[in-house]
Amino acid sequence: MSLIKLTGLEKIYQQGKIEVPALRGIDMEIESGEFTTIFGPSGSGKTTLLNMIGCLDKSTAGEIVFDGHSINDLNSKELAEVRRYNLGFVFQSYNLIPVLTAFENVEFAIRLIDKHNKKERRDKVMSLLEEVGLGDMADRRPNELSGGQKQRVAIARALIKEPKLVLADEPTANLDSETSKEVLELMKEMNEELNTTFIFSTHDPQVMDYARRLIEIKDGKISKDQRRD
Amino acid sequence: MFFLKMAFKNLTRHKRRTIITALIIAFAILIYVITEGLMIGMTEMSFENIINLESGHLQVADQNYWEDRKELQLKNLITPAAEIENKISQTDGFEALTRRLNFAVNLNNGIDELPVTGVGIDLETDSRVFELDQHLVAGRMPEAGSTEIIMGAKLAELMDFQLGDYAIMLIRTEEKTFNTIDGEIVGLFNTPHPSLNESNVFLPLSTVQERLNVEDKISHYVVRLNDQDLASNAAEELSSRLSAPYQAYSWRDAARSLVTMLEMQDIETQIILAIILTLAAVGIVNTVILSALERMEELGMMKALGMHEREIVYTFMGEAAGIGLIGGVMGVIMGIIGLAIFNINGIDMATMTGGGDMTYGFPLSGTIYAGWELESFIFVFVYGVVVSVLASVLPALWAARKDPVKAIYHR
Repeated sequence: MSLIKLTGLEKIYQQGKIEVPALRGIDMEIESGEFTTIFGPSGSGKTTLLNMIGCLDKSTAGEIVFDGHSINDLNSKELAEVRRYNLGFVFQSYNLIPVLTAFENVEFAIRLIDKHNKKERRDKVMSLLEEVGLGDMADRRPNELSGGQKQRVAIARALIKEPKLVLADEPTANLDSETSKEVLELMKEMNEELNTTFIFSTHDPQVMDYARRLIEIKDGKISKDQRRD
Repeated sequence: MFFLKMAFKNLTRHKRRTIITALIIAFAILIYVITEGLMIGMTEMSFENIINLESGHLQVADQNYWEDRKELQLKNLITPAAEIENKISQTDGFEALTRRLNFAVNLNNGIDELPVTGVGIDLETDSRVFELDQHLVAGRMPEAGSTEIIMGAKLAELMDFQLGDYAIMLIRTEEKTFNTIDGEIVGLFNTPHPSLNESNVFLPLSTVQERLNVEDKISHYVVRLNDQDLASNAAEELSSRLSAPYQAYSWRDAARSLVTMLEMQDIETQIILAIILTLAAVGIVNTVILSALERMEELGMMKALGMHEREIVYTFMGEAAGIGLIGGVMGVIMGIIGLAIFNINGIDMATMTGGGDMTYGFPLSGTIYAGWELESFIFVFVYGVVVSVLASVLPALWAARKDPVKAIYHR
């Protein structure tokens, strides 16, 4: 069974009296454990598609099935529940909370699902921070970390609750090529180690090299879907 | 707890803004604490003046007289009796008893005439209940059996009397015939009770009884207790032991209009507090909106991670509570300092009333010293925090209901 199944997905934005189609009938399936890149030019609909898959936005037409359940008819509270327990996000601008330390930023996500006691939580956060190479920087606040380190914290935050799917919208856009490589390698490592499904959007060719599946979007449609071994 | 911790940490993002918003709350609390403190001081002084100069702790009178007592008619007077006085002296907390006879007087200086209240006092016992003698600023108390009188220095000034002058007092006897008392002014007083200074003359009880032709009758007994808080219960208990038509009244009954006025004043103070804190609440609303706008991407991230609207609202409410707490602590500290200044140095009543002789019905004058009550501090502190938290709810809801996509991309 696919983790995600999109059928005839459409999204039309209303700009005053003008209707702007962002997605024009997307059919796609993502299997569990995939490491997929969605790429395409600016305005092609990558981010819109990612937002639909991430339960952040609702489609105009078509169906989204996540882990065997249609999410089309869910209200905003139910969608929040799906995100809370099943999804992790990595943003281009990291979106860390500046008043919290790296440890607390990661802890923040696991606090939402509140499945662990204090010690378990601490051990889990520390172990993940160590895995992303920030074990000795747990007490640093975001302004004391470099761009790459911030994105590592963001990745740890996305993975801490062991989600079924991690969505990353242009995760390397604010990073230099060396740091981008490190971050991508980390994501790939996590994908292999934890079998977490990763979908990330990009138009950076370096990023595409890491993907095992490449989906190209043009004018709101899938123009290419290529799997690599 | 984690969200509360995060909320408090958020207060450190813009320390200056947090402090300024908290200061608005603090000033609101300061104004309330000072106003309330001065009100407490005024109330305590007013009650003390009423008790020490006008009503004592208890009064015993014919209930028909009591109802019309302000008309100063010579009807329903009491004939003193040992039996009544014995019953009065058995009252819990009893200290002293005196007799008084109030009557209507037209005070004449040969040119002008002024209606005032005459009070016949038992010179032997009056000072055990009242402290009029302690406020003499010139001369002495009258001698028993004489036609000597004392009056307020202010009344004397108004009527152009000097110490040693004779004041003609026109009175009407019980039979409605006119009589006069040619009273020699032997003493002038200046009490902190303005109306007493302006409209009362005091003279020996026996002289008044003789000139009014009321034999040995009095209008009422006045009792001093060792604790003013006993008065209400004592009045009730004593009334139950007295036979009709006698009735005991506490100083609160005698000062009913003042008590009502102070209660109204208290409501006014609460309204002032509500208005000031509402203005402070605008500061909180402003702070929460600014914080939300600055943190829009963060809010989007929180929503993306599955944080519920109510959890986001709680976080902002926690921040507002933090501001309220900081403002509350600052306000209470400022309030304690402010009250200490007004408690030690006091404030001249004339300053509060615009420099004139107006007392706005309060039986007090001179310097008012602020009082304080722990309950006021607790109340205003809690009120400040609650107002802060409530003020944050709507802007927090506005922030929490932002569309996650728009928030993430700050559209």
